[in-house]
Amino acid sequence: MEASSREIRATGLSRTFKGGIDAVRGIDLSVNEGEVFGFLGPNGAGKSTTVRMLCTLLPPTSGEATVAGATIVSEAADVRRRIGVALQEIGLDPVQTGRELLELQCGLYGITGAEGRKRTDELLELVGLTEAADRRTKTYSGGMKRRLDLASALVHRPSVLFLDEPTTGLDPASRLTVWEEVRAINAGGTTVFLTTQYLEEADELCNRLAIIDAGTIVAGGTPEKLKGEIGNDVVSVALDGADAAETERAIGALPGLERVVAEGERLHLYVEDGASSIAEIVRKLDAAKTQVGAISVARPSLDDVFLEATGRRLEGARPEESAEQEEAA
Amino acid sequence: MTEVLLLGRRAVREVIRYPEATIPTLFIPLFFLAVNIGQVSETFPDTTPFLNGQGYAAFQLPVSLMFAVATATTGLALVTEIDNGYFDKLLVAPIKRTSIIIGRLGADLVRGIAASFVVVLAGLAFGVHIEAGIIGAIVLILLAAAFGVAYAGFGILVALKTRNVQATNTSFLLFFPLLFLTPNFVPFDRLTPVMETLARLNPVSYVIVGLRSLIIDGWVAKDLLIAIAVIAAMSVVLIGLSLRAIKTYDRN
Ligand SMILES: Nc1ncnc2c1ncn2[C@@H]1O[C@H](COP(=O)(O)OP(=O)(O)OP(=O)(O)O)[C@@H](O)[C@H]1O
Ligand SMILES: [Mg+2]
Repeated sequence: MEASSREIRATGLSRTFKGGIDAVRGIDLSVNEGEVFGFLGPNGAGKSTTVRMLCTLLPPTSGEATVAGATIVSEAADVRRRIGVALQEIGLDPVQTGRELLELQCGLYGITGAEGRKRTDELLELVGLTEAADRRTKTYSGGMKRRLDLASALVHRPSVLFLDEPTTGLDPASRLTVWEEVRAINAGGTTVFLTTQYLEEADELCNRLAIIDAGTIVAGGTPEKLKGEIGNDVVSVALDGADAAETERAIGALPGLERVVAEGERLHLYVEDGASSIAEIVRKLDAAKTQVGAISVARPSLDDVFLEATGRRLEGARPEESAEQEEAA
Repeated sequence: MTEVLLLGRRAVREVIRYPEATIPTLFIPLFFLAVNIGQVSETFPDTTPFLNGQGYAAFQLPVSLMFAVATATTGLALVTEIDNGYFDKLLVAPIKRTSIIIGRLGADLVRGIAASFVVVLAGLAFGVHIEAGIIGAIVLILLAAAFGVAYAGFGILVALKTRNVQATNTSFLLFFPLLFLTPNFVPFDRLTPVMETLARLNPVSYVIVGLRSLIIDGWVAKDLLIAIAVIAAMSVVLIGLSLRAIKTYDRN
């Protein structure tokens, strides 16, 4: 059935904040049952605002959405029963222990008594916090907090799980752990809606993704399809002071050249066959006596997809830099 | 219902585990009790008519009780939770939003009873004799705690409306005029006309008068019923507004 195979469907979803900030500008989304759907975008793109709307925490200014078979505004209570949510800001009560927090969470979802204790033990095991279970969450490291938060979103075995930047601020090892957990949760049949600033993460985890920039979806599809649309290979020319337009003119028409994108001190040429193009490019630049720096060839990444869609790189998306960014905003 | 109990238990646990949030709130009332008595017991010896044969401590005890129970603790705990994001986790759970508030108020009742008990014990140590007896002492403690619960509604309201820790913290200052524009040092008829008018307009005055009647005069139905009515009215208004605030939180 149509309704059961689409776990999330949004049409024209928009949110304008007081003061006229259009955080989300009429987006359409469709997430299939059982998939890991990536929602990729830079700081301030509108990822969290979208998640908050889909989770019933924030009413949309316009547009509508159904999540797990219920509409987010008129059937919010049904949505809440069926979803699990780990928001961007890890919401933990510092005075409780990890175990107490999970048991309370179980209780709020109607899982009480021995059943709640059993589920708590299972989840502590799943996220590797059995040892630390009886310590107050205040004493947990960032990664432990993230994992506890993830566990608390799972108490009632939700059919849809929302994860808002689940790995931001984590070290590489902890990121891998969270990835494994997301895969395991998804393997158990849970549909996952995951936001991220990391292209690598989207590439690694997601069956399909949408790229959001300034409140608008600028590209969507499977990672392969998105990369495929860009072209087969990307030849990057370091300009080293050479003029971009002039260099582009010098290279001129190239067999299999699909598009050229100038980005700061580099020129990216999306071509069918990188290896043979390099030779051709070098020959043409020599002929035109244009001095450039290193020339390299690579397979296109989602980064290139983002660049192509927005004209910008996903700046600051390196794991170690982005931990505190939303605080400053 | 279960959710209210669970959330209430958590809030009580928070009180127990944060003694540094509760102990200072007890320091002020005990300090006032000791200092005021020390300073004015010569001026108002136990032959003073309005003391009915007791020391001045008996007259001050209700004021200290008010101080002990009317705190910004709950509002602060809530705004901290809003700030750190745990509040969102509760909002996204399939529970009635009002349970979050009712659970917290339940913890306020527990804390109010415990704090009032300590203050009454201190009063007894200062030689106060509760004219209405043991039952009177219990009613005294319960009424003080109920006042604390009503007052907590105000902190919760500020927390939900401002979502700002500083604002919620300073909202406590409002309590000073409410507590001092009252017959807190002397009865109504000993106040200057302006002060008397203000005090008679202040509902908290009647709570103090009611509690005081239990200590000094025994069972005075009129004073007690007015105090109960005032506490009930404050609860309806302040708790009512905070329940509405959480229902409409981020709803537009
Ligand atoms: N409560 C709010 N009031 C006003 N503006 C807001 C509010 N929440 C978010 N915004 C604005 O809406 C825009 C989108 O914010 P949002 O948090 O959805 O972005 P994001 O993609 O999650 O970014 P990040 O990667 O930094 O978390 C930003 O310009 C932000 O400043
Ligand atoms: Mg965000």
